[in-house]
Amino acid sequence: MKSIVLSSVVTALLVFSGCSSKEPAVDTKAQEIEAPVAQEVEVVETETVSAEDSMVESQANATAGTMSMADVEAQLPVVYFAFDKFNIDTAMQEKISAAATLGKNDASTYSVKLEGNCDEWGSDEYNFALGLKRADAVKKALVAEGIDTSRISMVSYGESNPVCTDKTQDCWAKNRRVNFKLLP
Amino acid sequence: MKVFFSLLFFINILFAGDATIEVVKKADSLPSIAVEDASINYDETFRMQFFKSLVADLNVISLFNVDRHRRVTHYNNTDVLVENKDMNYVLRYSMSEDDDRALNVVMKLLQSGEEVFSKSYKVSQQNIYMFVSHAMAYDVNEFMGEPSVEWMKRKVIFSRIIGPQKSEIVIADYTLAYQHIIINGGFNVFPKWANRAQNAFYYTALDASVPTLKHVDIRKSQITDIVSSDGMMVCSDVSDDGKTLLLTMAKSGQPDIYTYNTETKKYKRETTYGGIDVNGQFMDRNTIVFVSSRLGYPNIFSKKLNTNEVEQRVYYGRSNSACSAHGEYIVYKARESSNAFSPNTFNLHLISTKTDFIRRLTAVGVNEFPRFSKDGDAIIFIKNYKSQSSIGIIRLNHNKNYLFPLKYGKLQSMDW
Repeated sequence: MKSIVLSSVVTALLVFSGCSSKEPAVDTKAQEIEAPVAQEVEVVETETVSAEDSMVESQANATAGTMSMADVEAQLPVVYFAFDKFNIDTAMQEKISAAATLGKNDASTYSVKLEGNCDEWGSDEYNFALGLKRADAVKKALVAEGIDTSRISMVSYGESNPVCTDKTQDCWAKNRRVNFKLLP
Repeated sequence: MKVFFSLLFFINILFAGDATIEVVKKADSLPSIAVEDASINYDETFRMQFFKSLVADLNVISLFNVDRHRRVTHYNNTDVLVENKDMNYVLRYSMSEDDDRALNVVMKLLQSGEEVFSKSYKVSQQNIYMFVSHAMAYDVNEFMGEPSVEWMKRKVIFSRIIGPQKSEIVIADYTLAYQHIIINGGFNVFPKWANRAQNAFYYTALDASVPTLKHVDIRKSQITDIVSSDGMMVCSDVSDDGKTLLLTMAKSGQPDIYTYNTETKKYKRETTYGGIDVNGQFMDRNTIVFVSSRLGYPNIFSKKLNTNEVEQRVYYGRSNSACSAHGEYIVYKARESSNAFSPNTFNLHLISTKTDFIRRLTAVGVNEFPRFSKDGDAIIFIKNYKSQSSIGIIRLNHNKNYLFPLKYGKLQSMDW
């Protein structure tokens, strides 16, 4: 009797452990469920909100100091980061120092917006936070170089603002970056 | 022998209704159903569209083996078609257009030739026919006495990236057959329904001077600024009563979770860790789960609001960067491989806070952004696989996944 009980338990355990590692049945008929039409239908019921299409901040090229904003911006670096990291390496620190020098001279009348970006690994909030921590690391480095914190704002675009869309390691490395955008 | 049976009985009780346990081999025993089209108006193309939509919905409710042949009959015929005489159920419907060009549908469910259920539907325009087919499947499911599939009738809201710093916010049905672009132009992400009635939503505008959370009242076509934060601003979750928001904000460059009271308009910082805390989701009124890097990699933690009590919830996986909770269940995204070119990079897993089981819910591709339905019956998620972005639905208790591909663009985030 004891052995029957034991073997039953073992069998039950095997059955359940087997269950937990099995793949769920993926429905191969997904194509048939595919939307018959994905047309952009017109206004339906009461669901209408006027298109919000005038939100982009204008960034006119105001002239100030000795160089135009576009000229200064062209000299500002792009700071790159390692996978899943937001610390600044030595090479990037030199670029930031050069940017800070520019910020104290030719660009002294401008503010800067630091745009943090990530590669396409994930579209979740964590990726946005990673982009932000990158922008924040650059901000701290700029402040350490003597740039007034009130001149620096930040935004994270997560993976939504790629400069390269190929599926290669090189391409993704280009997307893990912080851009400098000057504001009047 | 008594011991043996009582042991089996105990195991049975223990695992009954546990969603982390998979149901296998259930499909063989499902009753069969055929669908008969008795429509009066409309051309063949539209009739076929409606038929396909209905068959798809009947498949998703997972109660039947659905016959995929479309057969035409008269609505009042007393007998089912000869080809369908061996079916357990026959669903017969008729579409007709009235003088206002509204789409009217009547349907009846026949069991062994006897009518057991009937209902009629009307929508003002033909092009939202899919909501009728969803409602029909919902009603059939209700008639069969199964747990509610109310999520079928709910609307999905998602943001779609269409270019660098360009996105659209779209309202759709759960199959994406119906799509209405509600916010066009600009760079707007993380839409989130503001209430159960789905007549308002929040989203983040990234092209404002500072990332700003906005509220849209759909009925009044009114957009209101709620709160802004330098660096990052996301509405991660809304409480059931719509009065408390879980926000991820980055006051002074530090991403943390805040609660925001929509009545007093005041926010409160809930996490204070110096790394990354994001993706707050209500487990219940006073407990949240969230993603934190406090172990040096992203993982899932929970916190009781108004206390400092933080608890690690997931012990599997080295990179778990998104989650959603419903009661005792937590679904999370785990990185499976550090090789970005592996076909299998991110999968969703389900755990229960009451057992040690982990159930893997997806198999290939990048699977992310899981969200429980309000009733916990299903999980919706984003799947990116081979340059194709899709919305996926997992029916936990039926062990089935369904995918609905997006025609263009890439899904950024969504809610339902």
